[in-house]
Amino acid sequence: MSGAAGRLAPRALAAAAVAAVATVLLPVTLVAAISVAAASRRGWQPGRLYRAAGWCLPMLVVWLAASVISRHSLAAASPQLAWLALGRGQYLTAAVLIAPLAVPAGLLAGGLAWSFRLASMAAQAAGRSPAAAVSFDDRQWRHQVRAAKALIAAPGAVPLLTHGGDFVAGAVIRAVGHPARALTVLPESRLRSHQIVIGATGTGKTTLLLRLWAGYLAAARRRQAARMAGPPLIVILDCKGGGDARRIADRARRVLRSAGAGNVAVWPDEACLSLWTLPARQLVSTLVDLIEHGTGGAAYYTDVMEAVVTLAVEAPCGRPSSTADFLARLDPGWLGLAYSAGGYEDQLALARSAARQVPDVALRFRTLFRRLGPGLDGPGNFADADVWYCILEGTTEVAVAEAQARALVDLLASFVTQPASGPQRQILLAVDEFSAVARRLPIWQLYERARSLGLSVQVSAQSWHGLAARQDDRYRLATTAEGGIWLLGTPHPDPVIALAGQRASLDTSRQLAGRLRWRRHGSSRLRDKPVADPNRIRAFEPGQAAYIHHGGVTFTQIKRLVAGPAALAAGPSSERTLAVAAPPAAPVLPGDTVPPRDTVLPGDTVLPVLPDVSGLLDAAFGPPP
Amino acid sequence: MTTAASNDRAGLLFTAEMYGLQLDQLAELQGGTMRQARALAARWASAGLADSAVLSQGPPWVWLTRAGLQACGLKYAAAPPALGRLEHIRAVTAARLALQSVPAYRDGGAYWRSERRLHARLGSHRGVRDHLPDAEVHWPDAPASGAPPDWAGECWAIEVELTPKTVARTTSIMRELLARTGDYGCPAAEARVAGLPARHARAVYLCSPAATGTVVRATDALGSLSARIAIRVLPAAGYLPARRPP
Repeated sequence: MSGAAGRLAPRALAAAAVAAVATVLLPVTLVAAISVAAASRRGWQPGRLYRAAGWCLPMLVVWLAASVISRHSLAAASPQLAWLALGRGQYLTAAVLIAPLAVPAGLLAGGLAWSFRLASMAAQAAGRSPAAAVSFDDRQWRHQVRAAKALIAAPGAVPLLTHGGDFVAGAVIRAVGHPARALTVLPESRLRSHQIVIGATGTGKTTLLLRLWAGYLAAARRRQAARMAGPPLIVILDCKGGGDARRIADRARRVLRSAGAGNVAVWPDEACLSLWTLPARQLVSTLVDLIEHGTGGAAYYTDVMEAVVTLAVEAPCGRPSSTADFLARLDPGWLGLAYSAGGYEDQLALARSAARQVPDVALRFRTLFRRLGPGLDGPGNFADADVWYCILEGTTEVAVAEAQARALVDLLASFVTQPASGPQRQILLAVDEFSAVARRLPIWQLYERARSLGLSVQVSAQSWHGLAARQDDRYRLATTAEGGIWLLGTPHPDPVIALAGQRASLDTSRQLAGRLRWRRHGSSRLRDKPVADPNRIRAFEPGQAAYIHHGGVTFTQIKRLVAGPAALAAGPSSERTLAVAAPPAAPVLPGDTVPPRDTVLPGDTVLPVLPDVSGLLDAAFGPPP
Repeated sequence: MTTAASNDRAGLLFTAEMYGLQLDQLAELQGGTMRQARALAARWASAGLADSAVLSQGPPWVWLTRAGLQACGLKYAAAPPALGRLEHIRAVTAARLALQSVPAYRDGGAYWRSERRLHARLGSHRGVRDHLPDAEVHWPDAPASGAPPDWAGECWAIEVELTPKTVARTTSIMRELLARTGDYGCPAAEARVAGLPARHARAVYLCSPAATGTVVRATDALGSLSARIAIRVLPAAGYLPARRPP
């Protein structure tokens, strides 16, 4: 008993001393208590209280200066006067007199106390039980989320770009290994690096992507205005397709227009690109790659196909100008005639020896182009719009989407490598739902040489496994994402979190003294734990994301960009509805029968029958040529 | 006297809108002879309204001075026609004259909105990607007299093609013209708005023989939009004498 009393006595004495000091410095104690309560309630870090104390310094200086001037002494009389006022019941006077000293001191003390509390809980050394640390962390997380949501709900609190041109993603919930700020601010250069976005359906991935694209565009416009770079171009490959993709395309169009996009082309619904503008060598490679071919014995047919395609593309009369033109060349007679002019003996011999296989090659390409549709048959190229939203039907027709993605990336690579007359364009290639086309789209090849060409690549997927078919490829993508990885709610975040690294933390154990009672004795050890808590990421609400970069993580509440209103549809009778950059009809191939078109596809607009003006024009200029 | 003054005014406005014109075109505009046109130009020059010089093969060119432009109430920059554009200016002027000579054009009350006017409207806001047509022809919904033509209310883009561009570039220009929804000089966000009616109901291409093939191929490549492109041959009077095709 005496031993217990001996142990308790110093504690009681210490508590009494603290209580005495707190009573003597009651105003400071009050401010400290309020600041700690506020920090706990709002999920602030101690640094915020320190900064608040720092902002009070001018007040302190003025107060001291006033004291010096009035009393010719640095020993201010305000504390004594405040106590006297308090004794007389003049509480407001007392508060005013003591505030210049008590507020900064209280904030400082509160910050220190809050820092001590956080460190104790992180080391699991505080609280009645070891589990208290877990519930404390959960509670703090809820408070931090609430504060972040309140911040992004405030109008104008989260701009797209800062004054310095850096990108703002949203409000910081919690930062580990990154600066603890109110807003998640990324240097603009990160947007121009490769990035990865992983998030399951319904976790806010589209909201984040739209914000990233808008941020890229707005930042690129600033660089263009400062003559630091050429105009921006964003190419988005939506590999999911379907009606959902078209809704997102419409939203993207409105958001990006607000961010500075002059025109947004939706491929293939509203605009086309021309595969036939590729340089001849590249065109051959792309055409051959569009067709899936096997290995082993099938390699022979691949070689034959490549030879035939080369003959058709590199004919003396120039490369084909359209699908129909190309298919017309896949004919032994045409090839023989094309190379019969003299000087092409080798090609002529090749054409004759491959004559038996040419119809088979033609059949495969005819089938391919029928499935690909008219979107790659031109006219048009990437220079025609600031943003290309390309919809690939990766859900319903994987093989077609793969071929389209391959062709579009080849077109973009060719476009990027074209010598530019002005400053280098800033180009972002964003591939959404990459897993749908990952099998035949070696996007890391672009990763390797993209930076030097001014091209940034952004890949998004629903899960880690959706990033690529093979583990090697996934790691290859993830480890080269210099711009960081955005992780939204996903059931398997562990591989990405492992890439973020670990940090040292204190792990404290306590002795169990009885049923739900722990002694204050125990031991602590340093151990490494993941920078980001995987369970926290699994439990993300929609709109929450973890930004992983350079061994740190910033948990962010993403600010949703509000798009402008959708364009009103033109009236059926009084207003004219004219096609806007509509794609041409599908090429009618030899032997095709044109199916009746009785359905209106999304993006289709109805062409009115224009009145005949040929009489007027004939009278003025004569008949058409 | 009143008719002469009216002709003078119309001639001055025409000359101002077209940057300048050659005397044979001025004569055609006034419905007179070269001698009358020369006298008219001399009268304008003596009044300080116009200037005249031989800038190319063929008759002298006449253009308005600052005083002439002010007299017309136009705030264009006063300068002689650019030497590099003389061919093009003559071709566009010839196209306008040919169109004006058709009764249906006059009866429909059509208004020729020149490239110079469009350019002045854009001012310094012209983006590098904005392509200006050589002119717009606006057809009022209801002309001052007579029945409106079937195409009343339409706005046409006029393009004069003397030298062939690439098919891709020509197609791109055609698509831009046909997709545009906003007036020139409007905010960029309104230039092309999906769902709004297109500004140009159709585009009329007047081509030299050299450019015709390219324009035809570009039109074919447009697909369904090609219905809104009309192609005609540029009148013979649209060429400078030395460049006139056989």
